[in-house]
Amino acid sequence: MDDLEQAILLASDSPAAASASPAVREEALAFCARARDESPPSSLLRLCLSGLASSPHAHVHFWCLQSLHDALLRRRIALPDDLALLRSSLLSLASASNAASPPFLRNKLAQLVALLVRLDYPHVYPSYFLDLLPPSPPQSGPTDMFARVLISLDDDLLSQDYPRNADETADACRVKDAMRAQCVPQIARHWHDAAATLGAADPPTAAVALDAARRCISWIDVALVANDVFVPLLFDIALSPASAAPLAAAAVGCLSAVAAKRMDARAKVALLRSLLSAQQGLGSPDSGLKMASLVTTYAVEALACYRKLGPSDADGAAALEMLEEVLPAVFSAAESCYEEDVDSGSVLEFLAGYVSTMKAPSEKQLGHLGRILEVVRQQMTYDPVYRVHLDVLDKIGKEEEDMMAEQRKDLVALFRNICRVAPAATQQFIKGLIVTALSSAEATVEDVEVTLTLLYRLGEAVSEEEIRTGSGLLGELVPMLLSARFSCHSHRLVALVYLETVTRYIKFMQENVQYVPHLLAAFLDERGIHHQNSHVSRRAGYLFMKAVKLLKAKLVPYLDTILQSLEDVLGQFTSMDWANKEAKLSSSEDGSQIFEAVGLLIGIEEVSPEKQVQCLTALLNPLCHQIESLVMGAKAQGLEESSPRATSLLQIVVALNMVTKGFNERLVMISRPTIGVMLKKTLDVVLQLLVSFPNVRPLRSKVISFLHRMIEILGISVLPCIPIALRQLLVHNEAKDMVDFLVLVNQIICKFNSSASGILEDVFPTIASRLSVILSQDAFSTGPAGNTEEMRELQELQRTLYTFLHGMVTHDLSAVLLAPTCRQYLETIMQLLLFTSCSHKDILLRKACVQIFVKLIKDWCTTSKADDKLPGFRVFMIEKFATGCCLYSVLDKSFDLRDANTLVVFGEIVMAQKVMYERFGEDFIVNFVAKALPEAHCPPELAEQYYQKLQGNDIKAFRSFYQSLIEKIRQQQNGSLVFR
Amino acid sequence: MALPNQNTVDYPSFKLVIVGDGGTGKTTFVKRHLTGEFEKKYEPTIGVEVHPLDFTTNCGKIRFYCWDTAGQEKFGGLRDGYYIHGQCAIIMFDVTSRLTYKNVPTWHRDLCRVCENIPIVLCGNKVDVKNRQVKAKQVTFHRKKNLQYYEISAKSNYNFEKPFLYLARKLAGDPNIHFVEAVALKPPEVTFDLAMQQQHEAELAAAAAQPLPDDDDDLIE
Repeated sequence: MDDLEQAILLASDSPAAASASPAVREEALAFCARARDESPPSSLLRLCLSGLASSPHAHVHFWCLQSLHDALLRRRIALPDDLALLRSSLLSLASASNAASPPFLRNKLAQLVALLVRLDYPHVYPSYFLDLLPPSPPQSGPTDMFARVLISLDDDLLSQDYPRNADETADACRVKDAMRAQCVPQIARHWHDAAATLGAADPPTAAVALDAARRCISWIDVALVANDVFVPLLFDIALSPASAAPLAAAAVGCLSAVAAKRMDARAKVALLRSLLSAQQGLGSPDSGLKMASLVTTYAVEALACYRKLGPSDADGAAALEMLEEVLPAVFSAAESCYEEDVDSGSVLEFLAGYVSTMKAPSEKQLGHLGRILEVVRQQMTYDPVYRVHLDVLDKIGKEEEDMMAEQRKDLVALFRNICRVAPAATQQFIKGLIVTALSSAEATVEDVEVTLTLLYRLGEAVSEEEIRTGSGLLGELVPMLLSARFSCHSHRLVALVYLETVTRYIKFMQENVQYVPHLLAAFLDERGIHHQNSHVSRRAGYLFMKAVKLLKAKLVPYLDTILQSLEDVLGQFTSMDWANKEAKLSSSEDGSQIFEAVGLLIGIEEVSPEKQVQCLTALLNPLCHQIESLVMGAKAQGLEESSPRATSLLQIVVALNMVTKGFNERLVMISRPTIGVMLKKTLDVVLQLLVSFPNVRPLRSKVISFLHRMIEILGISVLPCIPIALRQLLVHNEAKDMVDFLVLVNQIICKFNSSASGILEDVFPTIASRLSVILSQDAFSTGPAGNTEEMRELQELQRTLYTFLHGMVTHDLSAVLLAPTCRQYLETIMQLLLFTSCSHKDILLRKACVQIFVKLIKDWCTTSKADDKLPGFRVFMIEKFATGCCLYSVLDKSFDLRDANTLVVFGEIVMAQKVMYERFGEDFIVNFVAKALPEAHCPPELAEQYYQKLQGNDIKAFRSFYQSLIEKIRQQQNGSLVFR
Repeated sequence: MALPNQNTVDYPSFKLVIVGDGGTGKTTFVKRHLTGEFEKKYEPTIGVEVHPLDFTTNCGKIRFYCWDTAGQEKFGGLRDGYYIHGQCAIIMFDVTSRLTYKNVPTWHRDLCRVCENIPIVLCGNKVDVKNRQVKAKQVTFHRKKNLQYYEISAKSNYNFEKPFLYLARKLAGDPNIHFVEAVALKPPEVTFDLAMQQQHEAELAAAAAQPLPDDDDDLIE
C-alpha cells in the first residue's frame, strides 16, 4: 500500500507531485493503472479498503473510492463474499463519516453506496436506507452522509435530467418502488427534523438534507412535505433573515418542487391555495427577492391551471386570482434578474404566457402590463460598462451588440404582444420614457438607447395607417422624436437607433407635412449625415434615401435646402482617399446612397424642367470633368487597378449611377428630353473609360452597371454607342467576365428586340465561338465535385448562355442565326440545343431549349416546305428532335412525371409536337407515328389513338393522353429497357 | 495549484478545470491564448495539459491554471481525480453536435460532485460553423443550474475573454472587474461576424430578387 500511496500522490496535483520530474510522474501513473487494472478483483478490493482505512491522504482515499466504483460498475467485483465485505465496509464508513472530511470524498463515498443500492436493493440487501437513516434527533455527520447518498442516487439513477438507458430506467423504478413501500415516510420525517433541529446549529447540513428532499419530492407522496407542519417550517427558513443563504435556497427549492409536482389541475389549484394560505405574504415584492424561483414556479403552475380549466370554471378563476396575487413578487423577481439565482428565462416565459391569455385587460391588469413593460425595458438595457466599446464598435462592443440582439428577441416578442393587448397603455409608457429622457441632461446612453428602441418597436407593432394619421399618442410622440436632441446623441448607438426610429415613422409626414423640415433636419444635421461617426453618417445617407422614396413630392419645396446642406458630403464621396478607409464597407453603408437620394429628388416630376436641368448640371458636370481630368492623367501614367485614381473613377461612376436611379424612361425621353441629352452626354464620358481602360476589371463592372441603367432609361437613343461598348467589353474577356457581358447583351435583346439585330450580328460570332467550349463542359454533375465555386460559376455561365439563346429567339431575333457571319455556328448550336433538350440535368434548361425549338419552327417553317428559311432544319426536327426529345427523353425513367418542373417541360414537349404537326404535317406523322412509336414498342392501337388526339383541338386532352401513353410504354418495358 | 515544475506567481491564481466531450474544442480554446501557449507544459504522463493563462484586470493581474482534461477514457487515468481542488470550471460543448450538448448535464454532475459550489461557465463552441445543430434558444441547461452561458468560436476568437471575465468577477466577488489589456490571441483562423453574416444573407436575398445586376456590390473589390 505504501508504494501505491506514493504513486497516487505523485500522479495527482498533491504537493508531493510538485517537485517530481515528468518521468517519475509517468512511472507513478502507470503504477496506479496497473494496480487498478491488473490486480485480481478481490485483492483490489482489499487494497482499496486498506487504503481507505489507513492512509491519511485525501488523494489516496479518492483514488480508492474511484477504483472501487469502477470495479463495481464493470461488475469486476462480483463474488458474494466480496460484495458483502464491500457493503459492510462502506456502510460503516458512511455511518462514521464526519463532516470534517472533504466534501469530494463524502460525495465519492455516497456515489459508491448509491451504486450498491442500484445493484442490489432491495433484493440482495434490503436495509441500506434503514441502516443509514440517522436516528432522531439528527446529528450532522450521519445526516449529511445520508443526504449525499440520496443526492447521488438521484444524480446517477433517478433524475430524468440525464440520458438514461433502459436498464437504468428499470433499476430506478425498482429502487423507487421499494423505497416507497419501505421507508419514505421515515425519510420525510427525518428531513423535517433535520431542517428543524440543524437549521440553526449546522445550516450547511440542513441545506444538504433539504436539497435531497427537493430531489425526491417529484416521486414521493407530496403530502409528506406539503402538510401544515413541513410547509410552514420551510417558509420560516426561506424568509428568516437569520437563515444562511444556501439553506434558505434549499428551502425555496423544496417549496418550488412542491408547487411544480405533477398532478391533476384541480388538485394543483388546491395545493397552490394551501401554499398561499401557509404564507400570506407569498405575493409580496419581498417574497420575489427571497423566493424568486418559488414565485415563478407558482405563477407558471397557476397559469397552467387557469389555461386548462378556463375562466368560467370556479377553480380556473381561482387560479387566475392566485396568479395575480403573486404577480408583485414575480415582478420584483424579474427586476432583480441580474442576481444570479433568478432564472430570467423562465420569468420571461411566464410573463409572455400571461400576456397571451389577455384579451381586454382590466384596469388591474393594465397596471400589471405597465410593470411588465418596465421589466422589458430593464432587460433590454445595455450595461454601461460597455459604453465606450459600443461607441467605437471594437471587438468587445460587437460581441456585446450580438449578445444584446439575441437577448432582445424574446423581449421584443413580449413587447409586441403587450402593444397588441394594450396599445394605449404602451404608448403612454413610452411617452413617459421619452419625456424623462428629454428633460434630463443626464439621461444616459443606455436609457436613451432603450427608449428609442422601444419607440422603434412600437412602430413595428402599429399599422401604417396609424402612423400616417398619428393615431393615439403617435401624433405627439413623432414630433417629440423629430425635434429630440439628446446630450448623448454623439454616441453611435443612440444616433443609429434615433435615425432608424425616425425612418420607421416617415409615413407620418405624408399627412403632416408641417413636420417635413424637422425630419430633414434630423437627417441632414449632425444627428444624421453630418454626424461625427462615419458609420452613422453613412447609415443616415442610406436612410435618407429611403425617406426620399417615401415622401417624394413632399420634399420638392426643400430641394435647395437639401442640396445646399449635402454639398460638402457629395463632394467628399468622390474625392475621399478610399485607400485609407476601412475596406469592409457593406453596400448599405457606403455613402453612395446620398447620390441616389439626390437623384430621386431631382427626378421628381413636380420639380420644374428648368430646376431639374440646373440641379442636374450642377451635379453631373463636376463629376464628368473629374472623369475627364483623371482619364487624362491616367492615359499618361497608366491606370493601376488599386491606385487612388482608379478608385476615384470607380466612385464617380458609382455616384453617377446612383444619381440616375431617380430618372425613368418616360421622364427622360418623352416629357423632359433635355435631361435625356444630358444623360446621354454623361454616358459618352463614362464610355471613355471603357475605351481607354478596358482591362481594369472593377471599373469595367461599374461601367457595365451604368450601361444597364442607361439602356433602361435612355432607350433606343443609346443604340449607337452600344457596338463600341460591346467591342471594348470583349477585350480580354475571360470566362468569368462572360456572364456580365451576356447579361448586358440579354438586356439589349429584351429592350430593343429586332432593332438590336445589327448589334447582335456583330457580336454573335464571338459569343458563338466560345459557346460550344463553355457548354460542352459538364457543370451539373452531382457529387462533391459539383459543389465548388468554379462549378457554380460555370453553371451560372451556362444558364446565362441558354437565356441568351432563348432571349434571341423569343425577341424576334432568330434571323440573326441565319446571317452570313453567323451561319457557320448553326450546326454546333443546333446539336447543343438538341442535346440539352433531351438530357440536360437541369430540367429548366431543357424547357428553355424546347421553347427555343418551338419558336424556331414557327419562325423558319411554314406549311410549305419550299418556304423553309433553313434547309435541313425540318428534317432535323422531325428525325432528331421529335424522336430524341419528344419521345425517348420522356420515356427515360429519370424523367420524373411527379415533379412539377418536369411536368412543365412535358407540357412544352406536347406543345412542340402540336406545332410540328401543324407545320410539318404528314412528314411528321410518317416519321413519328409510323416509325418512332412502333420502334419504341408502342402498341399500334395506341399509336392510332395518338394520331387522332394530335389532330384534335383539345391540347389538354392530348397532353393527358400522351402522358398515359408514355406511362403505358414505360410499364411495358418494365422500366428496365435502355433505349439508346 | 500550479503544475509541477511550473513557476508560481505572486498574484492571485486559480485552478480552472475544462471539461466536455472529446472534439468540442477545449484544447483549441485554451491554446488561443498566446502567453499560455508559450508557457504551457505538456504532461502526457498524467493525461492532462495545464496552461497558465494570465489576464490583466483593473485590480491587477490574475492567473488561471487551465486544466485541459482532454481525451480521457471512461476508465483509466485519474479522470474526476483531476478536478480535486478545482476553483472554477468551463464546460464545453459543440453547437454543431447535439450529443455534446446532451452530455453537458453529466459533465456538470461529475464536476460538482468533486468541486461543490464553484463558478462554472457553459460554452457553446464553434458558432462560426454554418451548420449549427444546437440553436441558442435550445440551450437552457445553464438556466436550471445557475451557470453563465456564452457562445464562442475558438477558431475566430469570438467571445474568447468572456468566460474568463465572468470567472474572474465571481472569484473576486466583484462584478465590476474588467480586463484592461487586450489579451494576445492567435490571429483568427476564420472570421465570424454575426451582423455581417445576417447582412450578407439579406443582401443575397435582395440580390436574388434583382432582375439585373446593379452596382450594389462592395465598392472596393
